[in-house]
Amino acid sequence: MQVPTFVDARIFGPLLLDIGIALLTAGASSRRVRITMVRIAAAYEYELHVDIAPKSISLTLHGSNAQEAFTGTRSTAGVGVNFKIISGISRLSWTITEKKWSINEIRNELNRLINLPGYPQLVVLLVVGIAGAAFCYTFGGDTFEMLITFGATFCGLLVKQYLARKSVNPYFCTYLSALMAALLIGAVYKAGTGLQLEHAFTTSVLFLIPGVPMINSFTDLIEGEILNGIERGFNVLIHALAIALALSTVMVIYNFQG
Amino acid sequence: MMNEWFDVGIKAFWCGFAALGFGVLFNAPRRTLFAIWAGGFLAGFVKFASLQAIPGSGVIFCSFIAAVIVGIASIPVAHSRHVPPMIFAIPSVIPLVPGVFAYRTMLGLMKLTGNIGSEYSQVLSDTVHNGVITLFVIMALSLGVAVPLHITTKDSVKKIRWK
Repeated sequence: MQVPTFVDARIFGPLLLDIGIALLTAGASSRRVRITMVRIAAAYEYELHVDIAPKSISLTLHGSNAQEAFTGTRSTAGVGVNFKIISGISRLSWTITEKKWSINEIRNELNRLINLPGYPQLVVLLVVGIAGAAFCYTFGGDTFEMLITFGATFCGLLVKQYLARKSVNPYFCTYLSALMAALLIGAVYKAGTGLQLEHAFTTSVLFLIPGVPMINSFTDLIEGEILNGIERGFNVLIHALAIALALSTVMVIYNFQG
Repeated sequence: MMNEWFDVGIKAFWCGFAALGFGVLFNAPRRTLFAIWAGGFLAGFVKFASLQAIPGSGVIFCSFIAAVIVGIASIPVAHSRHVPPMIFAIPSVIPLVPGVFAYRTMLGLMKLTGNIGSEYSQVLSDTVHNGVITLFVIMALSLGVAVPLHITTKDSVKKIRWK
């Protein structure tokens, strides 16, 4: 007899892979991807074996009947950060466990989550600019330095958003954005405004910190996902190197002694 | 004395805005933004207050305490807002990233590649000092946030009961 919640593994499997890859692309830790996929599979009485790599997911589904099986892989071009997708899918997984949605309902909700609009560009630029100024204050900057840092962060992020839309290599993107921010700070300093270089210089590039992979790297290591942890850790290191290179480029351009 | 605590409060207030900026940058849902600001405030307050109140504590220990408290606080907030705890915890601790130490480390490394003669050992020890602080603060932040969420092997913090 067929259980009422039965869904075909050949339809359910690809959907599960899409959910997993959406989470991975949105910057979830390996453990979160795994537990969410296992939770959804369990709701439809499937046993799931899943392998999570830094940029791809492979899975095999087993139903109670040995013939219901599915094996597949999905990969993603790049991993970013989108908390709306992570929280949306987390909610979705709990709804599925409680209400046993149909495959179509899940697919529609997933598509809705993926296509949710982000914050308007100007809002992001302004709020991140204020965050830059806030950083500057906590590191000991005064009002003038905060104002300059706001401007530099605003322009740096503008460059980053533009380059990201043009699909520029992410490390190069970080380098050029840091360069833009630091060039502005350097210009104000050179103009002889009495700006304290250290506070503004360091805090204008902090919006480029890859905070999510940095913490995910440790989370993965603690959870025994060592390979993914190392991959994310190295990713963070290369971004940090790109920021440092941009700052040193600006120091050479303006002939700063540090 | 009063003035120093006022300063701690103001710094924490701005830490909240730094966290909020990262929340928006990471596209956190609108219903979580106030909690992210509060998380940044809490992280900043605990760090600067413990630096003030515990003599000889140092920036690494204080950052760790702040990150652990934010990590623990994110669990009940995640319950009430129905989102994973990392959505509060990660933006909230980012204001504590040691940017100035990282910058000084980079400057030091650049100086070491040049011809600086007798200053060499002084620059070397300063650079190592700043580099070690940077590394350990970042590790303290990441571990501090991650540990409360991984202390049990249950599949979700939703299943942790406080009673």
